[in-house]
Amino acid sequence: MRYLARRALWTVVSLLGVSILIFLLVRLLPGDIVDILAGTEGQLGPAQRAQVLRQFGLDKPLPVQYVRWLWSMLQGDLGWSFRSGQPVGGLLLSRLPITIELALLTVLSVSLLAIPLGILASVSKSVRIKTLVQIVGLLGLSVPNFWIAVLLILVASFLFRWGPALIYVNPWSDPWVNLQQMFLPVGSLALGFSAVIVRMTRSSMLEVLGREFVKVARAKGLSAGAVLLRHALFNAMIPIVTVLGLQTGFLLGGVVITEQIFGLPGLGWTLLNGVYQRDYPVVQGTVMLFAGTFVMINLAVDLLYTYLDPRIRYE
Amino acid sequence: MPRNRLQSHGGFSRRAFLAGGMALGGGVAGLDFLGRSAVPALAQSAGTPKRGGTLIAAQEVDPVSLDPHTNSNYSALQGYEHLYESLTGYDEKTNIIPALAQSWEITNGGKTYTFRLRPNVKFHNGQMMVAEDVKYSVERILDPKTASPWRNWLEAIKEMKIVDPLTIQMHLDAPYPALLGSFAGMRGSGIIPKGLAERENLKIKAIGTGPFKLAEYVPQDHITYARNPDYWDQPLPYLDGMVFKVLTEENARLAALRAGQIEYAFMTAQGVAQLEGAPGITVMKSPYAWVVLHYINVYAKPLSDARVRRAMRMAVDTNEVIQKAVYGAAVPSGPIPTGYGDWPLDPATLPYLKPDIPGAKKLLAEAGYPNGFAIEILCSPQYPEFVATTLVVQEAVKKIGVDVKVTQLEWGAFVATNNKTIRSGGKEGGQILCSANTFRPDPDGYIYPYFHSQGNLNEGGYSNPKLDPLMVEARTVSNHAERWRLYHEIQRVVLEECPNWWWYAKFNIEALSSKVQGYAQSFTGRRIFLKKTWLA
Repeated sequence: MRYLARRALWTVVSLLGVSILIFLLVRLLPGDIVDILAGTEGQLGPAQRAQVLRQFGLDKPLPVQYVRWLWSMLQGDLGWSFRSGQPVGGLLLSRLPITIELALLTVLSVSLLAIPLGILASVSKSVRIKTLVQIVGLLGLSVPNFWIAVLLILVASFLFRWGPALIYVNPWSDPWVNLQQMFLPVGSLALGFSAVIVRMTRSSMLEVLGREFVKVARAKGLSAGAVLLRHALFNAMIPIVTVLGLQTGFLLGGVVITEQIFGLPGLGWTLLNGVYQRDYPVVQGTVMLFAGTFVMINLAVDLLYTYLDPRIRYE
Repeated sequence: MPRNRLQSHGGFSRRAFLAGGMALGGGVAGLDFLGRSAVPALAQSAGTPKRGGTLIAAQEVDPVSLDPHTNSNYSALQGYEHLYESLTGYDEKTNIIPALAQSWEITNGGKTYTFRLRPNVKFHNGQMMVAEDVKYSVERILDPKTASPWRNWLEAIKEMKIVDPLTIQMHLDAPYPALLGSFAGMRGSGIIPKGLAERENLKIKAIGTGPFKLAEYVPQDHITYARNPDYWDQPLPYLDGMVFKVLTEENARLAALRAGQIEYAFMTAQGVAQLEGAPGITVMKSPYAWVVLHYINVYAKPLSDARVRRAMRMAVDTNEVIQKAVYGAAVPSGPIPTGYGDWPLDPATLPYLKPDIPGAKKLLAEAGYPNGFAIEILCSPQYPEFVATTLVVQEAVKKIGVDVKVTQLEWGAFVATNNKTIRSGGKEGGQILCSANTFRPDPDGYIYPYFHSQGNLNEGGYSNPKLDPLMVEARTVSNHAERWRLYHEIQRVVLEECPNWWWYAKFNIEALSSKVQGYAQSFTGRRIFLKKTWLA
């Protein structure tokens, strides 16, 4: 309990730090909402500029702006988008499911494919399996996922003349159409992700398989499967779970390009557009959401360690 | 023949142009850009129009906001142009035609405009459109609180008087022939119901008089339009609705076109090459109002010397720029885009079509820079053609000893630098900036704001005491022949003095499913004729 309390405190401190950082960073970017609204062809005179700044509260000193933002955020109000005039909270809530679904499906497919493949690679003596693992590893690590995404789109349309429904459909309103829409983006993300996990699983397994307790388990006469899954894999899981957790965090933020290529209006794209449009409330809100999620995933991973290895105790 | 000269000098590939245009029956007309007016390539439209069906299209850039008065981004106009209309509009040849105003009279020496509104026009909420709404809309644009970036297009209006519910008079402080175009241009001139802006968030909601109503707008995802059954120009529109899915990635648009998922997409010259020979897809292209240029900050040395600016321009091969920036899909252009009625100069007679290195060197030496100098050019990778154009310039001026540093900036940062240059009169900001000028409702829009010493887009305070009165005269006289003469003269002078370097007017390339009939390209680049489009 004390551990949890301490962790919670640190969470608050790190989130506060993130909030100050992002608040300052977006304002450090050259150009502001006035420049975006005027563009290179339109014109906003000094009076109009002042009017826009006043309208968005940007005429106040920075500390005042920050405290106002923080105070309303504590009350659950993330402010209003400069560009669309929508409440940021509602905007993020409507975008969140897409990004979460993308991340979860990617993690799920990676876990189902890459972990077994890694185990196989660690025990198999087949050259083919080893080659396959090497190919997946090499391709996944060296080919950027946006390139794979474009390739998948072009192959699907030019060879198969197929493309999923254009406008995003919720999984609960039509799971089949939704799965089709997620197929290519998840595929493009999963390849690179799998490469990491396959290699991690393989090396972790190889290390554990050479340990004494595995020999003991074998000597006791346990079946090969039981040795592999119950004893070896369980002990090999810690580094795998760590990497899986870290990568999931990156997935939340790193799917920007994937979302854009496949036209999925998720959080990554929302953030990118927020930056382009100098839409401070949107950028700040999205980053705070990402930061919160990242912190939560880390906490979950840490707690998962105690389950995987009962020797780990948090005091 | 000017046509042949253009081919050899401008390097504009006639075959490529015909390949796009001819298939659509508008190719020959397209070549007519040398002449009086730009005739856009027309879609094959055999058979009679048919009601019904939904057009699925790609939107290449997210509109971000649908407010018809407060946005400078072109994609916003693409989003709201089907929803709102103004007093005037454009036909296929970019002539100004009546829209919400049925007719108008210009009296009092060009200072009073009396608009007679079209009767029985309904807004999408069922309300009748009357003079009160026009007055309210124009007042909203002119109100500094609205912060409309297009306010200056209408700021000549000093007073509005409602004569009767369907007649409104506008009094100007000086004659301003661009007024009719300023309404038709729709950058900040949509007519909205009185009080709407106070009631609704116009960034995501819309109530206009346009051929389509807004059914749904999910920013960054899609816009769905539904047919306006009460549209005044019956039987238009033919379509039951349209869906524009935001697909910023060109490969995704290509894929969706080939898979038959969308029936319309905007394309680059590079992208459209991949559609060659694709069954069931028609490609339309014609030059439009998109002139790529470099703005030059003339405040400080060495760029304050016209000879330096001209020498650098002389060193560059316009044809090479066109080939490398847009794969040949453009025509050379001066300040007013090639193809804009009879206002632009004949591209075959433009200076600098061929590079002149010895001449450039000589000029530079005369100006006192025989060994050249170092300079920085800013551009944004948001538009790859701007970067490509700048790189061609960089290579070319090396030959006359000018060392160019190319700096790429994210678009928002670029805009900020550009605006800072203008605001500070050239004391701060950039030296040379690459951008494009899009459609202006009147030739004045390409001239006065940039080159008059009081112009508010004047980069670095360019000023020519001989030109200033000519520009004022050109924007106030209403006689067409007189204006024509003035604009041709002004363009010759600025081409000589190079406060900007103009490169080309790009082709508007649009790919459509062959099912789409009756669509026409507009010189404005807008998709206003989707209201006349039907699905076979």
